[in-house]
Amino acid sequence: MRVLKITPERCTGCLRCELACSYMQTGEFQPARSVIRVSPLEGHTSYAPYTCVQCAEAWCMTACPVGAIDINAAGAKDVADDRCVGCKLCTIACPYGTMFYDPGRRKAFKCDLCGGDPACAQACPTAAITYEEVATADWLGDFAAERTARVLVGVA
Amino acid sequence: MATRHLIIGGGTAGVNAIRTIREEERERSEITLVSAEKPYSRMVLPYYLDRSIAESRVFTATAAVLAGWGVKAFLGRRAVSLDTRAGACVLDDGTRVEYDDCLIATGSSAVKAPVPGADLPGVHAFWTLDQCRDLIAGIRPGSHVAMVGAGFISFTILNSILALGARLTIVEIAPRILPRMVDETAARMVQQWLTRHGVTIRTDARLVKIEERQGRRRLRFAKGGDVLADAVVMATGIRPNLDWLKGSGIRVNQGIVVDDRLRSSVPAVYAAGDVAEGPDRVSGGAAVHAIEPTAQEHGRVAGANMAGRDVRYAGSLVMNIVEVCHLDVASFGAWDDGRAEVAVAARPERDAYRKLLFTGDRLTGAIILGPSSDIWTSNDVGMLKGLVQSQVPLGPWKAHLIRNPFDLKPAYLAVRAAGRLLPETVLGRPAKAPGQTPVAV
Repeated sequence: MRVLKITPERCTGCLRCELACSYMQTGEFQPARSVIRVSPLEGHTSYAPYTCVQCAEAWCMTACPVGAIDINAAGAKDVADDRCVGCKLCTIACPYGTMFYDPGRRKAFKCDLCGGDPACAQACPTAAITYEEVATADWLGDFAAERTARVLVGVA
Repeated sequence: MATRHLIIGGGTAGVNAIRTIREEERERSEITLVSAEKPYSRMVLPYYLDRSIAESRVFTATAAVLAGWGVKAFLGRRAVSLDTRAGACVLDDGTRVEYDDCLIATGSSAVKAPVPGADLPGVHAFWTLDQCRDLIAGIRPGSHVAMVGAGFISFTILNSILALGARLTIVEIAPRILPRMVDETAARMVQQWLTRHGVTIRTDARLVKIEERQGRRRLRFAKGGDVLADAVVMATGIRPNLDWLKGSGIRVNQGIVVDDRLRSSVPAVYAAGDVAEGPDRVSGGAAVHAIEPTAQEHGRVAGANMAGRDVRYAGSLVMNIVEVCHLDVASFGAWDDGRAEVAVAARPERDAYRKLLFTGDRLTGAIILGPSSDIWTSNDVGMLKGLVQSQVPLGPWKAHLIRNPFDLKPAYLAVRAAGRLLPETVLGRPAKAPGQTPVAV
């Protein structure tokens, strides 16, 4: 399946992905409601977007007690609003921290790959986020390890 | 002859086992389900209690779904004895069901505090669907509800009771609330939060008696004034349903002792969920983790093994999350391990708290508190779970996290927790979506 491939070296921290994502997900330009999140690293000298890796186990989906999380046509795990009761089990089951919860609607929400045309990848001006036929991976691990080494040394 | 699987108990563990057998088996087997109740999800009862969902939504495997899966179901029937030599189970109406292998997934029951008056009308337990129905009938807008016990179960229905327009008083025998879910600092912050939101909390309150008084219930305590309530909810603990197994020869400790394939001490008998004492992922020992995710994983692993696969279970991770009046409260793993190295940080102005517990350079337990409107809280909840689940070595990040327990994400990314987690699946293959279970042919 196609997944969101992240190349953090290309990220400039412009946050267009968060704007585009929140608009697709909620109809509003509200980065706080985005399910892709840009992390500043090393005192805001580097940035890296982080979102659901669409893992094989789908801890959110198997944990859901009401079967509200399904696999959509794009292969993404997707929350069905009419079935989700808001019990939050998925938020503790997901070991990646990529389940979100809307206290206003009492629903969980997450990256659904926009059904197959992810807005974040469209919006990214530097191709730090691309939508490709590749195996999902830990896109940020090596980058974060390298870009935070000085932080650790600095405070040690 | 087709293999005959018997599933005893139609809760989360039992239903997940059935689905997994159908997903994994090479040849079509016979599956029989014995369940005292129609299969439903206990997790969603609080949302039925406050009427945000209809009762029909609580059911997980309806008669039609079970028929679709080709399951012969004895619903409303209880297993009363198991003859493990003969491979047969006797039900409460005398029916005898023979099996080639069986899964015990009979769950647990609520236990009321043993005080006079505990069985009076208007004194409820909250565990089963029937008990939920009774409580719905017992609460009206303006009712005063007294909840006995300030643990996870009472906290799961706290929002619902308030949403019904009731006033709420919580009484707890321990000196503090949530004694088995969070530490004292977190408990104090939650208590302050709830008090601000109009909930009355009384700790150190030993209930001695409940009396009926002019259609209301009067709770009397060892010391301090009485509490007068329209409805009482006893959330004073649960106990695994194991009594019926006396004489079966199955080894029971805190629960049915199972190995990493969920096999009991008796051949061809598996156990899963609240009745099973299985591998604990963090401690490496054995434990009963009576929580939904454990029941689900137990059920799937047991089902796969019953279907002829050889699946080893990595062990359950005890974890709980509850939201009370828009405050998230969660804990993971060995959060009360006295031998662990501990780092804590509080931001009282933001109602946020973190406690991290380290063994060597791994995270073995955590507590997190924060407003549910704060997106960092929900992200951190998952990442804490990932660090505890993966047991990834933290290296130099341990010192960083001890200095700043709130700065979780750079540590999570840089220790490559995601890379360690990605290959892990419970059944050694991608999980199937809810609708992907093969139906009968």
